[in-house]
Amino acid sequence: MNKLITLCLATLISSQAVIASAATDTLTVYTYDSFVSKYGPGPKIKAAFEKDCNCELNFIAAEDGVSILNRLKIEGTKAKADVILGLDNALMRDAKETGLIADHQQDVSALSPTLSWSDKQFVPYDYGYFAFIYDSTKISEPATSLRQLVDSDAKIIYQDPRTSTPGQGFMFWMNAVYGDQTNTAWKQLASHTVTVSKGWWEAYSMFLEGGADYVLSYTTSPAYHMIVESESKYKAAQFSEGHIAQIEVAAALNTSSQPELAQSFLKFLISAEAQAILPVTNWMLPVLENTELPEQFSELVTPKLVDLSIETAVTERKNWIKDWRSNAAK
Amino acid sequence: MFTKSSNIAGLLFILIISSVTVLAFQGLIGFSQRGADLALLEDSYFHSILLFSIKQALLSALLSTLLAWPIARAIYYYPNIFFKQTFLSLSLLCFVLPTLVLITGFVSLLGLSGFITPFLGEDWSLYGLQGILLAHVYMNLPFAVRAMHLQLQSIPDSSWILARQLKFSRWQRFRLIEIPSLSANASLIFGFICILCFNSFAVVLALGGGPQSTTLEVAIYQALKYDFNIPEALTLAWSQFAIAGVFFLLLYRSNSVPWLSKDSTEKRWIPCISTATKGIYLLIYTGTFVFMLMPLLALLPGVLAANYSIDLITDVLQALSLTLILGVLSAVSAMLIAYCIMLPIRNAAQRGQLRLQNTLQWLANHTLIAPAMVLSVGLYILFLPLIDLDQLGIIFVLILNTLLILPFAIQQIRARVLQYDNDYALLYQSLKLNFQQRISIEWGYIKPIMLSTFALVLLISMGDVAIFSIFGNDNLQTLPWLIYQYAGSYRIHEASFASAILLLVYFIILLKIERAKYHA
Repeated sequence: MNKLITLCLATLISSQAVIASAATDTLTVYTYDSFVSKYGPGPKIKAAFEKDCNCELNFIAAEDGVSILNRLKIEGTKAKADVILGLDNALMRDAKETGLIADHQQDVSALSPTLSWSDKQFVPYDYGYFAFIYDSTKISEPATSLRQLVDSDAKIIYQDPRTSTPGQGFMFWMNAVYGDQTNTAWKQLASHTVTVSKGWWEAYSMFLEGGADYVLSYTTSPAYHMIVESESKYKAAQFSEGHIAQIEVAAALNTSSQPELAQSFLKFLISAEAQAILPVTNWMLPVLENTELPEQFSELVTPKLVDLSIETAVTERKNWIKDWRSNAAK
Repeated sequence: MFTKSSNIAGLLFILIISSVTVLAFQGLIGFSQRGADLALLEDSYFHSILLFSIKQALLSALLSTLLAWPIARAIYYYPNIFFKQTFLSLSLLCFVLPTLVLITGFVSLLGLSGFITPFLGEDWSLYGLQGILLAHVYMNLPFAVRAMHLQLQSIPDSSWILARQLKFSRWQRFRLIEIPSLSANASLIFGFICILCFNSFAVVLALGGGPQSTTLEVAIYQALKYDFNIPEALTLAWSQFAIAGVFFLLLYRSNSVPWLSKDSTEKRWIPCISTATKGIYLLIYTGTFVFMLMPLLALLPGVLAANYSIDLITDVLQALSLTLILGVLSAVSAMLIAYCIMLPIRNAAQRGQLRLQNTLQWLANHTLIAPAMVLSVGLYILFLPLIDLDQLGIIFVLILNTLLILPFAIQQIRARVLQYDNDYALLYQSLKLNFQQRISIEWGYIKPIMLSTFALVLLISMGDVAIFSIFGNDNLQTLPWLIYQYAGSYRIHEASFASAILLLVYFIILLKIERAKYHA
């Protein structure tokens, strides 16, 4: 009897060991919540990656990109993630200061030359240009430059640079175009600004309700309306001075227990398969050159980049915010 | 009245909720290894946002309370007014409206291309102080109406009968009966709304028109989230705590019990009003009803335009069930804890220990004035390295939800339980009843207020988003969180649909509970 029990236990334990060794590795990725929503890229990216990697992809979602960075700062070396996905180029410097970002070992030569990507730690996975969206059935002659928009009396909604990344991008944009005269420009803009909202969706939903002539969003916003709603009246205004780009990036952490898996995920992100998924789920432009896009994307404006180094922008940010809040007040 | 054990139970809970706040602050202080950044207190930017926060809060509260008064009177004197129950239920709805509904509703009605805008003349602009006040009044006025109406209903019949016998004129009735019954509560309502508006953020920014409409909350949000500048956040949090605390202290005095005879829940006798007055009251009432309904109706176009699919419906229903479960758990816990916390307070009141009573009340209600964002981030920072918050975060959501709705529960049941003691404490002490008998008698008395308070805190707890976004697990989504997730990924119509479902469920819960209350 005793021998029988011992035999059973031994079988049980050894079978557990077999099961354990056959268990897959898990790759933990910190990202932001709209990435993992059912309508977002998360589910498709997960399915595509897990198909080939023989692993399990586990997304942990924070509220937005800034929250991912904050979580890293709090956790430090105890961070659970192997990869962080969803910071933007303005947050890269702060992220590197945590000392947790590993070098990426990826080949970025196939990426779009517009980006001229040279960073050794972060890998871009999509990008978008900030732009003002308008209703083409209401405005037949949109502004063709930022200066023209500021000097006109068109009603504008934009986001608060203190609480929103598009708002911050717009602040960089104004400073890049106007330089020393930014304060006067803010005052001029304030005279026909409808309001400044806390985040992107407040502004955009107010615009969709007819609350303004122009709203600050991305050049890819019209693509959503064209593809999902078959609505082509919303268009982006292209400005001659150039636009600011928000580049979303991902990186592996050097505290990761799965460095090779992390690197293969980064490689996957800039592969053709992932780059085809991202534009129609995240509504941003792909970073890989020659990615095939739905035809509606060809109707989007393709602006040039404004001349501003992200380093300068990040350094000057606090001062620019102070200037903004005193001059844009009505 | 009760034994020492009830004192201990109540004090224990007060200790627990105070320690949560202390822990949260400790989390922040411990992480930054520095205390608050006191240099900020001299910054003129800080002064200007402080002034603005106070100004918009005071004005909103003043407008809400003043405007609520005639409406509450109208309903009180004209009890058979049409759809009264629906109106009162709708009042609570406005209190817990999701920001998305508020913003899109107001813009679609009063914005640039608003429905009503053409009737308002050339100079009308929704944005600015007027927009903020409008939104705040919309959210808080119905609540004030309901609270004042309840207060008016507690005027005893005997007061009116006496007034008639003494042949009081209208002015005398007003001055000697109505005003005393409302005055204590009015300042409480005023203070309460003041604190709520003081802490308001997204609405203020969206309708405020620009950086001149910055409140303290924006600064805290920026410091805590975008800059991760904890010393600055601490200074701001302490300031907010201090100022809201001052509002609170000034206005939360011990209630004086209504004079003349005893309270009664049955309304039998109120003065007759002339037909002309009836007409005026009807006008006021209808106007308010329409005002409350309009932003809700403005939701409809969005709902009709949504991209319906099985996925959308299942997601919404799943989120709804989680919201309901979390909400009910928080609400039940909050009611139980509120009742326990009231026990030592009632004991103190019975023994006439006013200062002790006030101190306990203040401690019990302090989470109302503690900034929710600071509490959640502080606890997050403290516990993230210690436990797996991705799995257990939902417990924190529950705890924090309960803590944040607790002041509402306490505030609503307070008057009634204190009244009960005043009426019956001596009686049942002399009867030496056992615990079960005492509870069953007391329950009969306090049941209506407990049910309506349960409805209120259930609604509020179902609406809380901020905490969930920090602690929440992405695999378990609540309905408000789903709404904002949709809104943040272009799916505004779907967000409107989800909001409409949430409001519908709110409404059904309210109606059911109100009905249960009246069959008490």
